[in-house]
Amino acid sequence: MREQIKTKILKDAFIAAAVTAILTVPMIGLRLNVESTGLVLHKNFLWPAVAAAVVFVARLVIPFVLIPKVSVPAAWTQKAGDYKKWWVGALIVLAIAWPFTLLGGGSMLTAVTMAMVYIMLALGLNIVVGYAGLLDLGHAAFYAIGAYTYALLNANFDLGFWAALPLAGLSAALFGVLLGFPVLRLRGDYLAIVTLGFGEIVRILLNNWDSLTHGPDGINNIAKPTLFGFEITKRARVEDASTLWQTLGIDYSNVYQQIILYFIALFLVVITAFLINRLVKMPIGRAWEALREDEIACRSLALNPTVIKLTAFSLGSMFAGFAGAFYAAFIGSVTPDSFGFIESAIILSIVVLGGMGSQRGVILAALVLTLLPEFARGFAEYRMLVFGAVMVLMMIWRPQGLWPASRRRVELPS
Amino acid sequence: MDAFLPLFLQQLINGLSLGAIYALIAIGYTMVYGIIGMINFAHGEIYMIGAYVGLITLTAIGAASGLPPWMLVAAALVVAVIVTSSYGWAVERCAYRSLRNSPRLVPLISAIGMSIFFQNYVVVLHTSRDLPVPDLITGHLFSVDIGGFEVSMSNSRALILFATVVLMAAVTLYIRHARMGRACRACSQDIQMAGLLGIDVNKVISFTFVLGAFLAAIGGVLIGLSINKINPFIGFLAGIKAFTAAVLGGIGSIPGAMLGGALLGLVETFASAFLPTEYKDIVSFGLLIVILLIRPSGLLGRPEVEKV
Amino acid sequence: MKLQKTVVAAALAVGMMLVGGSALAADGTIKVAVASAITGPVAQYGDMHRAGIHMAVEQANAAGGVLGKKIELVEMDDACEPKQSPAVANKVVSEKIKFVLGHVCSGAFKPAAQIYDENDILMISSSATSDDLSTYGYKTFFRTIGKDSQQGPAAADYIINKIKPKKLAIIHDKQTYGQGVATQVKNTVEKHGMKPVMFEGINKGDTDFSALITKMKQAGVDFVYYGGYHPELIILLRQARDQNLGARWMGPEGAAVSDVKGESAEGLLVTLPPDFSKDPSNAKIVEAFKAKKQDASGVFVMTSYAAAQVLMEAIKGAQSEDPKKVAAYMHKNKFKTVLGDVEFTPEGDWATARFDIFVWHKDASKTLAP
Repeated sequence: MREQIKTKILKDAFIAAAVTAILTVPMIGLRLNVESTGLVLHKNFLWPAVAAAVVFVARLVIPFVLIPKVSVPAAWTQKAGDYKKWWVGALIVLAIAWPFTLLGGGSMLTAVTMAMVYIMLALGLNIVVGYAGLLDLGHAAFYAIGAYTYALLNANFDLGFWAALPLAGLSAALFGVLLGFPVLRLRGDYLAIVTLGFGEIVRILLNNWDSLTHGPDGINNIAKPTLFGFEITKRARVEDASTLWQTLGIDYSNVYQQIILYFIALFLVVITAFLINRLVKMPIGRAWEALREDEIACRSLALNPTVIKLTAFSLGSMFAGFAGAFYAAFIGSVTPDSFGFIESAIILSIVVLGGMGSQRGVILAALVLTLLPEFARGFAEYRMLVFGAVMVLMMIWRPQGLWPASRRRVELPS
Repeated sequence: MDAFLPLFLQQLINGLSLGAIYALIAIGYTMVYGIIGMINFAHGEIYMIGAYVGLITLTAIGAASGLPPWMLVAAALVVAVIVTSSYGWAVERCAYRSLRNSPRLVPLISAIGMSIFFQNYVVVLHTSRDLPVPDLITGHLFSVDIGGFEVSMSNSRALILFATVVLMAAVTLYIRHARMGRACRACSQDIQMAGLLGIDVNKVISFTFVLGAFLAAIGGVLIGLSINKINPFIGFLAGIKAFTAAVLGGIGSIPGAMLGGALLGLVETFASAFLPTEYKDIVSFGLLIVILLIRPSGLLGRPEVEKV
Repeated sequence: MKLQKTVVAAALAVGMMLVGGSALAADGTIKVAVASAITGPVAQYGDMHRAGIHMAVEQANAAGGVLGKKIELVEMDDACEPKQSPAVANKVVSEKIKFVLGHVCSGAFKPAAQIYDENDILMISSSATSDDLSTYGYKTFFRTIGKDSQQGPAAADYIINKIKPKKLAIIHDKQTYGQGVATQVKNTVEKHGMKPVMFEGINKGDTDFSALITKMKQAGVDFVYYGGYHPELIILLRQARDQNLGARWMGPEGAAVSDVKGESAEGLLVTLPPDFSKDPSNAKIVEAFKAKKQDASGVFVMTSYAAAQVLMEAIKGAQSEDPKKVAAYMHKNKFKTVLGDVEFTPEGDWATARFDIFVWHKDASKTLAP
């Protein structure tokens, strides 16, 4: 009997090594490159050999050391009572304090501010996917609508950021209702592909409607947000207006501007998180979760699924609209290419990676996913490779997310 | 009116050969979805890897080796199919198998991660530039003058269409009659029940990934030969289109994937024939939305039954 | 307990951010950022861009550097995405780098240029051709390449005077660059009374344009101007040949890369800056590229070499590392570069930018068009 097992392990290891060789010999062992003489193949079979050997040894060794499957202790998901308010306070204080350590010049501010945009987007999508259980692959469309709403209002009517912000949220929510109304009766993955299609349609329309959106050029020189009515740019856009720096009598510095933008982003994030936190505790929030768990039961309890789904969808879109408006102001230009499908995919990844329905998880995941490529900039072309691999590994090791929601949930295997 | 018929024929040829590629990739989406209910977003990347392995084989043998073009193409196809199928198998084994009983979104995210990984894997290994694919299939199958308009079909397009029809027929027969095909159908009906009845479910799932990769690899090699260049990003767009085709036809249904592919190819072609080309994707996604609103499970899909 | 662990991890992550990115320049070097495209689908333009800059800087450093200091190149990658370029620009600002060579693509350059302008950082692009860039009044903006409004009319003039097509189609790729050039061509030919029978966009990344080709064939098009980058052009050419379209094609300099070759590329017309690698006075530099296995005739190689040359000459001439002084010097003086004598307009454009018409051949070589 033991002998049999041994030969089986040996056989498995051989097969695994052979498959590794098949996978790596042509793709890694032979590399294509274009040189002045044309297409050239560089041969180097060291790596495939190493890979095959590693796999072979690993397959031999693993059955004996049998790595216990990493499972999450029950305590992780059930300690609802441990979620203390003061953590939130401490984190906010930390978030407010840290930019001041960068006054001497740090390059992380832009990346963290961008991460704030993603937090807003992901918190919004979390309502749709995490709480209401609707699979949405077109969130970037509402992000784009919010961004273009502010960009167009600013370019055509010279509307400031704070005046345009509610309008951007409103127009995104409106489009959410317009799309949601007909399609929300679709189920699961069909809804996913329709939202994906909608996202693409919005992007293509923005790219083609030259007279309004300037097509691929996008809209440039969008005004930055003001701080209590003062401009934070170096030179005021309006002739006789004075900038914040002139008023305060200090020299303009890029870092100051970046810090102010960061605080505005932080402010928006805190508001968003607070509002959503309240919403999910209201009857409507409960209804979202009830709907996610069992639609038929909801109907029997006289809850109207269409209305409930619509509120989730439009609220999620509204927060995406806010995020879009801030993005437009922050970057200063919008182009249709910034709102492609990959954006939707990344926002969805943040929600799932953080833990669906878990706000703190989503915030953590947004920070990780947007800052990881920044930290990995040193790896140049390897950074996106690492990014993809981390996503896969995270799903394998922590499918419930980085920091799952604390309320206990039961999932039936489908 | 005279010019309508030849023009229509030419666009029909254009649309069908475009749809053929969509259909080849869509089978992979639809079979995986039919059995484990998961959208394998990395499938478009598998198609791209197929194209790369094909080109690597062609370059390794060398266009100058004196072999006739058809033998080179055949060699590229064989190697690409073997290697790419292994990729399909390995992806399932490493990235998806342990997630089989997790909530539906988890494997989806894993697949998106896999897709990003593969794109950059190829970028790192073979650079992100366009690589030229030798022009091995030249000439035209036919080129006839109908009413003053020349209707033609190049050999490379004819090969795509021909290969697709043959493969589709083979897959249909296999799924209908072979032992493994029956097992696949059983699993797509009820995977737990199939397991209880002694079907090796793991093997069936591996098989669907391998078959999907097999078809995608052929699609990848043929498209490379047809457009004479490949880059690491061709899989992404093709994947989304093929997925759309699969949903259009009714995801989970193999004839649906074929129908969806052909339909999407034709719609895109005729949309760019009658409208400015930049609006064709709006037409195809718009059509998708409309069809799903009328038939929420796609053209040939099984209606989902709500179980209480 | 577990909760705390997560928080500790988060705190550590924040700590890492604080430490990161505070490396300052060692004394004795002048830092120059190379804002290029290292990743992404058009990384090929980035390759040419960096090849030119590195060569120029290596040669200058070997000859003793500038103002007694070596030039230190800091590589940055925006992947030609407008979303990534502001991060690059802010990084340049926070690392206190005063000079930028780049960016490569106009679309990604625009949001970054705004940041450079506010922080008085000198920027020299050797490949961004969008007209908009020089209309914002940036005082520290320069380029060693022509703009779309010079390239488009040059192509249009050739079409009107030499080709005289019966039916002209203008196709573009719906990108900032492609649509920009194509619109310039359209406007110029229309001014001369020629009405294109077709003006259409295609989708970037598509691989099937046969429906469009059939449409052109039906319209009897005998000349096609394509505004865009090379990846789509290669497929368009191939599919046009498949259907025996029989029209002649023309493209901008973004279409002229060595990937465009084979039977279907023979006879393609392209507008390019003059081929400076053919200039006998540049023979030595071309040799140096060859020694590094690089192709000096790549579209942006020589322009990027010149951009680096101009920058170094200007720092020397102004005897200062203050970008404002260097910019002022650049506006006033003439520079001897591999592109010949370069002068800048008050907007920062290359005053004597010129585009020649070349005929492209199937082995990716080019000859001056008759």
